[in-house]
Amino acid sequence: MAATSELSASLEDYLEAIYHLVKEKQAARVKDIAERLHVKAASVTGALRALSERELVNYTPYEIVTFTRSGEAAALDVVRRHSALKDFFVKILLVDEASADSAACAMEHSVTRPLLERFVHFTQFVEDCPRAGTKWVRGFSYYCDHDSKQDNCEKCMRTNLDEVIQKKANKGAQAMTEQQLGSLKPGQKAKIVRVALADAASRRLVEMGMTVGTMVEVIKVAPLGDPVEIKLRGYHLSVRKKEAEGIYVEQAML
Amino acid sequence: MDKAITIALAGNPNAGKSTVFNNMTGARQHVGNYPGVTVERKEGGCTHNGFDVKVVDLPGTYSLTAYSIEEVIARKFLIEEQPDVVVDIIDASNLERNLYLTVQLIELGVPLVLAFNMSDVAAAQGHQFDLEKLSALLGVPIIPTTGHKNKGTAELLDAAIEVAQQTKGTNPEMVRYGQEIEQAIANVVDKLEKSNKLSYSRNRWIALKLLEGDDDVASRHLSAELRPVVEQQITEVEHKLDEALPTATASHRYGLISGVCTQCVRSTIERRHSISDAIDLVATNRFLGIPVFMGLMYLVFWLTFTVGAPLMDLLDGSFGWLAGVVDGWWAPGAESALRSLLVDGIIGGVGGVVIFLPNILLLFLAIAILEDSGYMARAAFIMDRLMHKIGLHGKSFIPMLIGFGCSVPAIMATRTLDNRRDRLVTMMVVPLMSCGARLPIYALIIPAFFPGAWHAPLLWIIYVIGIVLAILSAKLLRSTVLKGESVPFLMELPPYRMPTLKGIFIHMWGRGWLYLKKAGTIILGISILLWVMTSYPKKTEFQRDYDAEIAALQTSATTELQEEGLAEIENARMAETLSYTVAGRIGHALEPVIKPMGFDWRIGTAMIGAFAAKEVFVAQMGIVFSVGEADEDSDDLRDKLKDNYTPLIGFAIMMFSLISAPCMATIAITKRESNSWMWALFQLAGLTVLAWVVTTLIYQVGLLFGLGVV
Repeated sequence: MAATSELSASLEDYLEAIYHLVKEKQAARVKDIAERLHVKAASVTGALRALSERELVNYTPYEIVTFTRSGEAAALDVVRRHSALKDFFVKILLVDEASADSAACAMEHSVTRPLLERFVHFTQFVEDCPRAGTKWVRGFSYYCDHDSKQDNCEKCMRTNLDEVIQKKANKGAQAMTEQQLGSLKPGQKAKIVRVALADAASRRLVEMGMTVGTMVEVIKVAPLGDPVEIKLRGYHLSVRKKEAEGIYVEQAML
Repeated sequence: MDKAITIALAGNPNAGKSTVFNNMTGARQHVGNYPGVTVERKEGGCTHNGFDVKVVDLPGTYSLTAYSIEEVIARKFLIEEQPDVVVDIIDASNLERNLYLTVQLIELGVPLVLAFNMSDVAAAQGHQFDLEKLSALLGVPIIPTTGHKNKGTAELLDAAIEVAQQTKGTNPEMVRYGQEIEQAIANVVDKLEKSNKLSYSRNRWIALKLLEGDDDVASRHLSAELRPVVEQQITEVEHKLDEALPTATASHRYGLISGVCTQCVRSTIERRHSISDAIDLVATNRFLGIPVFMGLMYLVFWLTFTVGAPLMDLLDGSFGWLAGVVDGWWAPGAESALRSLLVDGIIGGVGGVVIFLPNILLLFLAIAILEDSGYMARAAFIMDRLMHKIGLHGKSFIPMLIGFGCSVPAIMATRTLDNRRDRLVTMMVVPLMSCGARLPIYALIIPAFFPGAWHAPLLWIIYVIGIVLAILSAKLLRSTVLKGESVPFLMELPPYRMPTLKGIFIHMWGRGWLYLKKAGTIILGISILLWVMTSYPKKTEFQRDYDAEIAALQTSATTELQEEGLAEIENARMAETLSYTVAGRIGHALEPVIKPMGFDWRIGTAMIGAFAAKEVFVAQMGIVFSVGEADEDSDDLRDKLKDNYTPLIGFAIMMFSLISAPCMATIAITKRESNSWMWALFQLAGLTVLAWVVTTLIYQVGLLFGLGVV
């Protein structure tokens, strides 16, 4: 294998594999690497030799493999590229994780650094920009599944503008932190982030409309302290404290 | 052409389903139970455009999973009985959640029409709907209705009939579940298609339900070879999604609904304080909530028992009059088994039950108002913490409270409980709430044995013991026979609504009729049986020659002495007669069993008679102690009791009366409401055993402490 200044795609795959193995099991062995990449052990030793020539890994036959300092940096770089691409596919294009993973694997080697930076920034931008945001992405998903006409655009734009104004008004908006629905005070609104209850209970809650991302408002607590009245999707629901403690929410910025 | 069609009404609770049902069918309805379960089945009919329409009101559900018995029944009906068309009643003011059921109906592939109910409320809340577009997106016709103004009923029937005549179903692939789940569905459908001949859409639905882990569908369609496939798919998908499949699919459905709603609903400014919220500011207020609730409960009580009392007396009077008329058909003093059967057995027994009708109608009037207005959910909201502690539901409170008046309407009031298990537990323990008919027993016994200062505390203690036993029994039942509550308590607090007169009267009349018809037939039977038991066999040879004694008395003594003596002799004869009857013999035979409670055969015999109605105990004691017609104020009887028994036995009698089944009407109504003799007999046996154990314990412990000696 010729020594080039740039690592070959396959060597990058090796670095990535070693990186993940080290993370998982503290150390990488030839056998594990071979298993992970679906190659023969002989190919692995060849690659390891090439990597150790470039002083990226410490390798002696029959010993565990560790990174050198520059090796770790190189591996991290590959991993970062992979996850940036995968993020883009999953978050923006709404591709499922498995396909995103394999596509990222194929593309990570050929994407140049400046292009990669763009991907990262764009993902960030879509999430932050009030004109886009996660809602916009979901709109895209709907667009993919259905023929969409642009008849709700004014409303959508208007709500976005409202939100921007509101955000500006709450300049020092507190960091979003997860808390239990049960800990909210009457009058407080929050967004459901997850439901951690027994299967049957979670299922029922979701069926009643408590899906992730739904806004709920605590209306009041019953005179005896339990249950709690909440409002979601335009209707009122009574929930016992026990269940309310298994519903995790993020307080809205208001 | 077949001109008869069946419409099934589906919809969320509180969506105005029963109003639409009443509008469609008018008074032509029939309330019953689904076979084998305690779930109400309402059916009605009408003719429309020459069609004979049968309308079946399915139980109100939020979903079509196998989560509750109501959902299983609704689904089973839709799949097995295949109604010609399903009308889904939607509360337009609560569109998203109501559409969840709709989406599931669409997935099930049933012929569907949506009734867009309460659009006026929604409009007032500032929602505007593009119904045409909504209809196009969902692929089902939508008819706007306003249930309480009876608008849109004819159009709804038109649409339903039209859909019923088409064969076109809905699009079962309405919801796309994303690549992973869709792949899993496809894999399972593949396997299903190889083993059955169902349509693709039905198989898709079955596959989806299997993946969601639906037990009911699994028991029908999950073959041994399919099981590993499904299990593997579930594990794979859940691993990939990092989410349980049932919640993932539910989220997808809501995703679709949100998408549809953004396109079809335009919301102007949301009104933050509706009238409903204003009422709740008081009704569920931290400080006012409980007093308001107590006040309303008092009103229900007052309406049922105080307003009902004169009506009850009126009925009682008319039965008395009827008995007098029938009695008059025979010559005075003549012995006739038929007369006794008619007067004492049938008129007395059935009359004793029918006189409760005013109470029942009034009680259900009150309950219908509370329920239809939306207050019942608030009452449950307020009381839930207390009731939950004893393993019950907030809504159990009202039946328990009514139980202090009479167990029969109380057991009927358990219908407001949605969950079958909660309902059965409540039904089982309601008789422990000391009912009005037991009061005469306490009123007789307490003054007979205890000094005045003890009266009130004793009465209070008896009621408290009843409550404590009810709590303990509820807990016990909850953790044994009626175990299991992994399901969360989620209760909708619907907006307050003005109840409609029609709805309330249909509700009230339906209950009243049910009470008369079903309980009446069983009670008639038991009345006759009890009459036979306390009348036969007739004694012909007496220990004393009563007739000779009477004759002797009539010649020798003064008029005053004569009267007294005559009464004494007659009473002695009655006592002896009763002792000779089946009931008397059972009383004797039972002596060894009731002995540990401190009872003798006389108490045993009176208790058997008391099964007709608790207050009969007093009269029966009067007979066995030969004091003639006795009521709870009879000092003669009190003296007799005092001479024969100790205060400890007196207390034991009260305990046994408190705990044992109040009357045959209670057992009959439990049979009717639980739809099973099993539960009725379980209640009877359970209460009797409990009464025996508790009373024996009290009596024996009392003896140990030397309380048995006078």
